[in-house]
Amino acid sequence: MSSTPRKRPAPDALVAGAVVAILIALVAAVFLTGWGSTLYPPDAATSQGREVRGLYDIVFAFAVAIFVVVEGLIVWSVLRYRRKPTDEELPVQTHGNNLVEIIWTVIPTGIVLFLFVISWQTLNTVDAVSAQPDIRVHAIAGQFAWQFEYLDENGNKVATQLAPVYDTDTSLGGMAVPVGRSIQVTLDSPDVIHAFYVPRFLFKRDVVPGQTNRFEFTIDEDEVGQVFRGQCAELCGTGHRAMLFNVIALSPADYDAWLRALIEANNATPAPLPSGPVLNVAAKNISYDQATLSVPADAAFGITFDNQDPPGVLHDIDIRDGSGRVVADQQTIDGGTKTNYAYDPLAAGSYTFFCSIHANMTGTLTAE
Amino acid sequence: MATHALAPGTQTYSRGTLYEWLTTTDHKKIGIMYVINSFLFFLIGGVLALVVRTELATPGLQLLTDEHLYNEMFTMHATVMIFLFVIPILAGLGNYAVPLQIGAPDMAFPRINALSLWMLPLGGILLLSSFVTGGAAAAGWTSYPPLSAEGPLNSPGAGQDLWIVSIVLIGTSSILGAINFLVTIFKMRAPGMTLFRMPIMVWTVLVTSVLVLMATPVITSALVMLFIDRNYGGHFFDPAAGGSAVLYQNIFWFYSHPAVYVMVLPAMGVISEVLPVFSRKPLFGYKAFVFATAGIGALGFSVWAHHMFTTGAVFLPFFSLLTFMIAVPTGVKMFNWVFTMFRGQLTFSTPLIFAIGFLTMFLIGGINGAFSASVPVDFALHDTYWVVAHLHYVLFGGSVFGVFAGIYYWFPKMSGRMLDEGLGKLQFVLMFVGFNLTFFPMHMLGVQGMPRRIADYAGDAGWNDWNLAATIGGFMIAASMLPFIWNVFVSLRNGKVAGDDPWEANTLEWATSSPPPPYNFDHLPEIRSERPLFDARHGRVGH
Repeated sequence: MSSTPRKRPAPDALVAGAVVAILIALVAAVFLTGWGSTLYPPDAATSQGREVRGLYDIVFAFAVAIFVVVEGLIVWSVLRYRRKPTDEELPVQTHGNNLVEIIWTVIPTGIVLFLFVISWQTLNTVDAVSAQPDIRVHAIAGQFAWQFEYLDENGNKVATQLAPVYDTDTSLGGMAVPVGRSIQVTLDSPDVIHAFYVPRFLFKRDVVPGQTNRFEFTIDEDEVGQVFRGQCAELCGTGHRAMLFNVIALSPADYDAWLRALIEANNATPAPLPSGPVLNVAAKNISYDQATLSVPADAAFGITFDNQDPPGVLHDIDIRDGSGRVVADQQTIDGGTKTNYAYDPLAAGSYTFFCSIHANMTGTLTAE
Repeated sequence: MATHALAPGTQTYSRGTLYEWLTTTDHKKIGIMYVINSFLFFLIGGVLALVVRTELATPGLQLLTDEHLYNEMFTMHATVMIFLFVIPILAGLGNYAVPLQIGAPDMAFPRINALSLWMLPLGGILLLSSFVTGGAAAAGWTSYPPLSAEGPLNSPGAGQDLWIVSIVLIGTSSILGAINFLVTIFKMRAPGMTLFRMPIMVWTVLVTSVLVLMATPVITSALVMLFIDRNYGGHFFDPAAGGSAVLYQNIFWFYSHPAVYVMVLPAMGVISEVLPVFSRKPLFGYKAFVFATAGIGALGFSVWAHHMFTTGAVFLPFFSLLTFMIAVPTGVKMFNWVFTMFRGQLTFSTPLIFAIGFLTMFLIGGINGAFSASVPVDFALHDTYWVVAHLHYVLFGGSVFGVFAGIYYWFPKMSGRMLDEGLGKLQFVLMFVGFNLTFFPMHMLGVQGMPRRIADYAGDAGWNDWNLAATIGGFMIAASMLPFIWNVFVSLRNGKVAGDDPWEANTLEWATSSPPPPYNFDHLPEIRSERPLFDARHGRVGH
């Protein structure tokens, strides 16, 4: 070792170096074990998502490398250059060095330009939309529910899925699409901004009122049978967190059957009203026109429901008892449509009728 | 050694201390009141954050069964932290330090300075009053229309209007403060204090003031339009009547992205003061640092739409490229800071520890920002908890650690007493561990798909553990404030007497008594470099 007094004794450097090495080993261990995998997005289910995932991995590799180098330098400096009681003389007063300034300007510039270029290339794949997609779906996001319209090649609606969430008991609901086919989604909102987000697609797109956004995805063949979770990702009000939907990956044959069943259900004549009393209820401006309803106890009854809100705003009339248990669960209907709801007999007592989409829409129903 | 005598034009008033403080135009008292006022709002914003974290600790709605109240909580948390804590507390530190560091007796416009200060508690009280007048704003701190428009499911009631009025008021305070800083810095520097001898703290306040002056009127215009939309049937942002919802986002982020640098540049200034002093070396690459600061300021105006990549209404490559480019000057600063410590003699007093905390955390906040610059990756991460992690690593890991470095650094000058080192280090450890426990798991939550601003999540989504960890960390951060408050309390009474220059520092504020007299300096040392006190102590050895 040199004998100049400013040189630190070797053990100090050894300790600092050892700590830096341990930190690097820790970072490596984290990323090579399962614990680090939580820092990666879930496996992509679409060909577009796989592109994003590949890009993420590259950006992530640069991020970890830069983190280790700079954090290592910080830790090294902190451990290596503590002031000793013997340090009375000043350290060398280095004011800077133009060469290193140029180096740490040019190298990061190169890195970010590289990342920009590969990001742009990936973007062109991920964001591409074709003139002739295999399947067209028009997703309408209104406060606080999704509905999916299936369109033919001319853009005409052939069926509407009003139940966005898949029910495992009935195998109904959700946005079904065939695997291996290009799906083009157009997005519209009748009210505020929402966002279509499916984590396993590694993708989201805002649903902006007054502007139709469009994107495409193709689900991998081996994802057949999977049900993907999706939810609104742009704060849209009180029901934001409950604005859920599912995307269901079916084989093309199953999808065709599914769509035929949906068309049939859409065209089915509304259920006949029961023989008991029938009430008339309307909904407008996100509220019912009546705050109290009265029905006879222990007798079936019906409600003719008129949703007078604009299209995209879904309502229904469900009933829960005093303990909060839902005793009647009806299908939602779109704004501008009417339906007949049939209800089973209720025991005498006080109930709450409510909209399953809008928490503020409630009223009292008395069975007597 | 030559000295420049300054004529102290003071009068003594025989009024009470409280009256003296409430009516003062002394930049030092105003700066201290800025800090105290901001710290009180920090505590309020912190409680709001704890409410949010408590609700999210486990799946299910426990604390806030009314989800609207949850939306109010995170909206007000962010609003209070940004507009009433981070921005003003840095303005407060600048208010205290800048005139002293350039050898001026006060700010250029002392009465306007007092006005800027007193608009803040007024705006804050207006904002918080919405909790008792029918509910606070609940459309997020970004308040995007149409959600922030009038309407039963949008933002009914006075809360959103009070939000607009108070932000306009606080913004006006910022504009007045920025003009005051700029005039002070350009017109009131002591003889010999050329621009390139100014402390980096002063440079960062200068660039910040330019950003505030250019950007804040723009958000004011957006807010006025929103107010007209809400109350007088305007249709600026109403798509149903030919307006544009995305227009608001463009105007909003044209301010709010530069505002990120308003929230972080002065904190960079603080640690650029602290690191050289406690390393016994000059700042590495002073001029590179100045140019990097100016470069960040300039680039800061051309990246706003990276907050809007998923809207489908943005020219993506332009904003992606410039967002990537802003990493370059930021990286230059990072390397200069590290090389300031390199081969120095580090004394681990509390200000340095907080400054190192800034470096390590801001590094993460800078790196995870690059993910969002990559547009396709941003499609996956936008509006998830990843973004919450990113912004807190910048604004908490960066700015707040910088703020505490500044408070520990200048407290002896402000009060004449030293803060206790043991309590300071206890605070740091609690805050550092709590911070990382809170915000690092949010990266995982974000990549696994948890969106921001949701009151509840499914118990089987795989997010339970990280959410619980984040909540525990949040309470640790809260606990870290206790030793700090106790530290201030006991040190003001029994703290070690500081003397003029307890840190062997470099800049002019340490050339006067602690606390300084109302007119700041009896005499100034000769100013021949950016380290006049170092020169006075050591002669020209460093040059």
